[in-house]
Amino acid sequence: MVSTVWQNPVLLIVVPLGLAFFTPIIGLIRKELVKYIPILGMLFNLTLSLFLLPKVLDNPIIVSLSGWKPPFAINLFVGPVGILFSILISLVGLLTAIYGINYIKKGAVEKYHMLFLLLLTGATGIVLTGDIFNLFVFFEILCISSYALVAYNQDKNGIEAATKYLIQGSLGSAFILLGIGFLYGLFGTLNMADIARNITTVDSPALFIAMALFITGFGVEAAIFPLNAWLPDAHSSAPSTISAILSGIAIHIGIYAIFRVLYTLFGFNSIFTVLAVIGIVTLLIGEMSAFRQENIKRVLAYSSMGQMGLIIFALSIGTVDGISGGLFQIITHTLSKSLLFLCVGYMVYSTNSMELSSLNGLGKRMPLISLLFTIGVFSLIGLPPFIGFPSKLSIILAGLKTGETLFLILIVLMLLATVIEGVYFFRIIQILYFKEPDKEERFKTPFTLLFPVIILGLLIVAIGIYPGLLQEILDRSAEIFWDKLSYIKIVFGG
Amino acid sequence: MTLQLILLIGFCGAIITYFAGKILPVLREIFAVAISLLLVGMIVYAYGRYSQEIAQFGFLNFKIVFTLNRLSWLFAIIISSLSALSIIFSLSYMKGKERQDFFYMMMLFVSTSMLGIVFSGTFLQLFIFWEIMSWSTFLLISYSKGKAVKAGLKYITMSIIGSMAMLVAVISLYLKFGTLEISVISQNIDIASLRYLSCIFGLLFLGFGVKAAVVPLHTWLPDAHSEAPSPFSAILSGILIKMGIYGFILMMYMVVGIKIFMTLGVGWMKFHYVFAWLGVISILIPSFIAILQNDAKRLLAWSSVGQIGYIIVGISMGTGLGFLGGTFHIFSHAVFKGLLFLTIASVEYRTRTRDLDQLGGLIKKMPITFLGGLIGVMGLIGIPLTNGFISKWLIYKSLFESNRMFLLLFSLIGTWAAILYGYKILHNVFLGQLPEKYRNMKREPVFMQIPIIILSLTVILSGIFPGIILKLINNIAFSFGLESLNVNMWGVVSETGTLNIRNIFFGILAAIALVSIIFYSAKRSWKVSQDDNYAAGAFVPVEKYNYTVEFYAPLYKMIRKYLKDVIDIFYCWIAGLVDALCNGIRKIYTGDIGTYVGYILFFLAFLIIIYLRG
Repeated sequence: MVSTVWQNPVLLIVVPLGLAFFTPIIGLIRKELVKYIPILGMLFNLTLSLFLLPKVLDNPIIVSLSGWKPPFAINLFVGPVGILFSILISLVGLLTAIYGINYIKKGAVEKYHMLFLLLLTGATGIVLTGDIFNLFVFFEILCISSYALVAYNQDKNGIEAATKYLIQGSLGSAFILLGIGFLYGLFGTLNMADIARNITTVDSPALFIAMALFITGFGVEAAIFPLNAWLPDAHSSAPSTISAILSGIAIHIGIYAIFRVLYTLFGFNSIFTVLAVIGIVTLLIGEMSAFRQENIKRVLAYSSMGQMGLIIFALSIGTVDGISGGLFQIITHTLSKSLLFLCVGYMVYSTNSMELSSLNGLGKRMPLISLLFTIGVFSLIGLPPFIGFPSKLSIILAGLKTGETLFLILIVLMLLATVIEGVYFFRIIQILYFKEPDKEERFKTPFTLLFPVIILGLLIVAIGIYPGLLQEILDRSAEIFWDKLSYIKIVFGG
Repeated sequence: MTLQLILLIGFCGAIITYFAGKILPVLREIFAVAISLLLVGMIVYAYGRYSQEIAQFGFLNFKIVFTLNRLSWLFAIIISSLSALSIIFSLSYMKGKERQDFFYMMMLFVSTSMLGIVFSGTFLQLFIFWEIMSWSTFLLISYSKGKAVKAGLKYITMSIIGSMAMLVAVISLYLKFGTLEISVISQNIDIASLRYLSCIFGLLFLGFGVKAAVVPLHTWLPDAHSEAPSPFSAILSGILIKMGIYGFILMMYMVVGIKIFMTLGVGWMKFHYVFAWLGVISILIPSFIAILQNDAKRLLAWSSVGQIGYIIVGISMGTGLGFLGGTFHIFSHAVFKGLLFLTIASVEYRTRTRDLDQLGGLIKKMPITFLGGLIGVMGLIGIPLTNGFISKWLIYKSLFESNRMFLLLFSLIGTWAAILYGYKILHNVFLGQLPEKYRNMKREPVFMQIPIIILSLTVILSGIFPGIILKLINNIAFSFGLESLNVNMWGVVSETGTLNIRNIFFGILAAIALVSIIFYSAKRSWKVSQDDNYAAGAFVPVEKYNYTVEFYAPLYKMIRKYLKDVIDIFYCWIAGLVDALCNGIRKIYTGDIGTYVGYILFFLAFLIIIYLRG
């Protein structure tokens, strides 16, 4: 199936993992080189993923490790969803790494870059693997590196947030492991396709408990209400590059894990209604908590929480349209939120304060960054002509298409949350542009900081004006993501 | 291609203008004026070339269609020409202000997005341009900082609520009809039940009504219109609020069709009754609130709410005459309210204030502005030979013919209030005593004079030859299936009473001639200094007395206590509640790790309990 070594999807995991291990060694030789390693790794991943995308749209690729055929060995399931996520991960990873060249200067730089790469490796592994235990391992890689990175600044807030995150995260991981244990006990296999094939043969409460454990365990990372209490602290105390990765990627990976397990293994329908409601509750709570925040990074963190709710809602609608809308919203949120965190990172760096009042009149002092920040905000609210509009539109469309009263009510609530979101974000825009600055002098932004943000901004506008670019990919991804039978068939080569 | 080209030129032109300003300020101004004039030119050129263009690109699965019909041409020409005049006006007004690149860019952005709205052939585009218009307006309203920030936030909050309602309606239409193309929906409108259409109307009423500032959705308007930069206030009051009306006309006459619309409603409450009454309430109360205002722009803003009421009353009659009157009033209000805002802007530019208690006597210092103000107020009140007279006459006539005497009575009372506040603004700004500090004031700059003169001439000319526009509107009405009226250059011929401006014109001409003959042949006037006969011979320092303070004092005392904006107070109360609620919700996150672990266990238990329950 794979023609040459250089096109093997395994490299998406192996290359960054290898580079991560070499980072400290290279750091011993020359310290300045370290910061270019993540760029290298992510550039490779981005190229390879983009190259693989057209191929997997037709036929997902199955890679068996160590030569055995599934279900006897760990296999990778490289489908459109996995590659879509992999593109997002490597794109945001690449841009954040470029941003980091000038941004991360003090502290343990080698460790930062190593953990950064590990985090991204973990994320890529999760979306590509076809084995539930393997998924857990990558999940742990992701989580542990993010615990460490949250505390990177080594100040009181960072360490406190990281500890809290660690405690809640490990509880979640324990639940996942427990869930895997249940499944292994029932089926004697860890291959997801294999479990999925046999799941109808077993009718046991243990199955449901396993599912509840998975939802709760992954839910901690996915920031489902009320499992998301770590998020505002962690996202706001981490260095902004890490906030961008956490908000832009890590939490989406949590959502991916939940829905991969639900769609592929369980395929239960009744739980989706519950999840849809929980999603909207998460959305409302997130947006309402953000409403009165005075700390800019916390505002963004709470807004991430709200957006997670929206995505969970979309993915739980239970139609291909809904999933496609949910995936679209993931792209929106990844691009917009990383853009916002990177912009805010520079604002906070320059003004030395995270208070909203310190942003007064920044529109004049750093015009380009403020403009891009505005684009990100408009996109998140869902205003045309930015990417947030078509994604929100397709979610609402999918929800109303079901014709169920429950979904109608949930969508009305979602729109109310949008109003709240709009108000607090518009207030920030006013602070940026329509308040008097305390000083007049302008900030000079280094190019390495500006470049990633500009790219993200351009993507947001380009896809917003012409969303047709993504349409086909999203629809195809949604079909494959959703369809359990074809998943089994592809893995076992039906 | 033309319509897409117009929009493309508008949007790209806006962005180019911004960057031109970074190079050279003059370049920006040349660009802004050139592009706005180019838009006017292209729309004039498009007259009569009514067409439908299907765009090459789609949006998700939706088709993109641009249409030009008579209705949208009428709106487009009003939008583009008023924007061009405002931009020319801004050349002087904005001089020395900060962030002008942004200002000009947004002015072009707002007007192009409004053009986008009227050119939309599908509801999706309508919504997209609607949203672009909303946020760019928000940025312009907040431009002046200070109080404007609050006004902007109020505007955008109401605006988002409106657009969310509109979005639900639009998507629901898509699910019902399988398309968003306006022409296709209107052909298949029969498949929708009346109840469904009533729901859609309810939602769209929120969406369009917020922009149109119909009572009870008007509360953003007085703040926003008074705090926005004045040339933009002219656009806001002149055309932006008419976009809501455009939406209403589109739905009532084009999509649903007036026959079905007249039967829509919840139970015995028919929408067209509700509409007409909301219109009348919008005329009556805001017009009296306007009398109380001492900020000139706030007064005009309240007056806009009142004037929108006339339009709504007119179009909700569902008769040819009502439609003619309502739509003509869209045009006349755009012209005379734009004119009034620009005159106040030029007064503000020279005097740095728009407080009606401090101004006065500017007639000698700014004669052209005074003439503009006079003609604007005449149009507002509806004095014959101005376009306001034509529209009001038609609206009253249609109320009379539909036998809606209460509506007629209240509208007339509203006009009475309009006379009072119209005179107040004219007197307090231009007549009476000139305050000492303005003795050495210069005249208005030439870029302010040009738009004022053009708009004044338009008020008069379209008041004398209403037929030019009436014929166009009559054709629109005919295409909507309304009865065609006999319209000629001088007015409307009908059995129950013909409107003939020619007779009025010559009558007034004769009267003026008569009065002037008497006036000049008598020749007994002499001039005295203002200080001569005042205060019964006792010396009063010149700056001590001022006619303008507490104008209409007895009337104030009488009506003030009845005229609180109860709706605004109610909305603010709700906003306060939401704010408190949000602040409370935030406390879920206590910061205590024990609680958080509790949450996680609770969630797991919750999932399992749900399972056990069923």
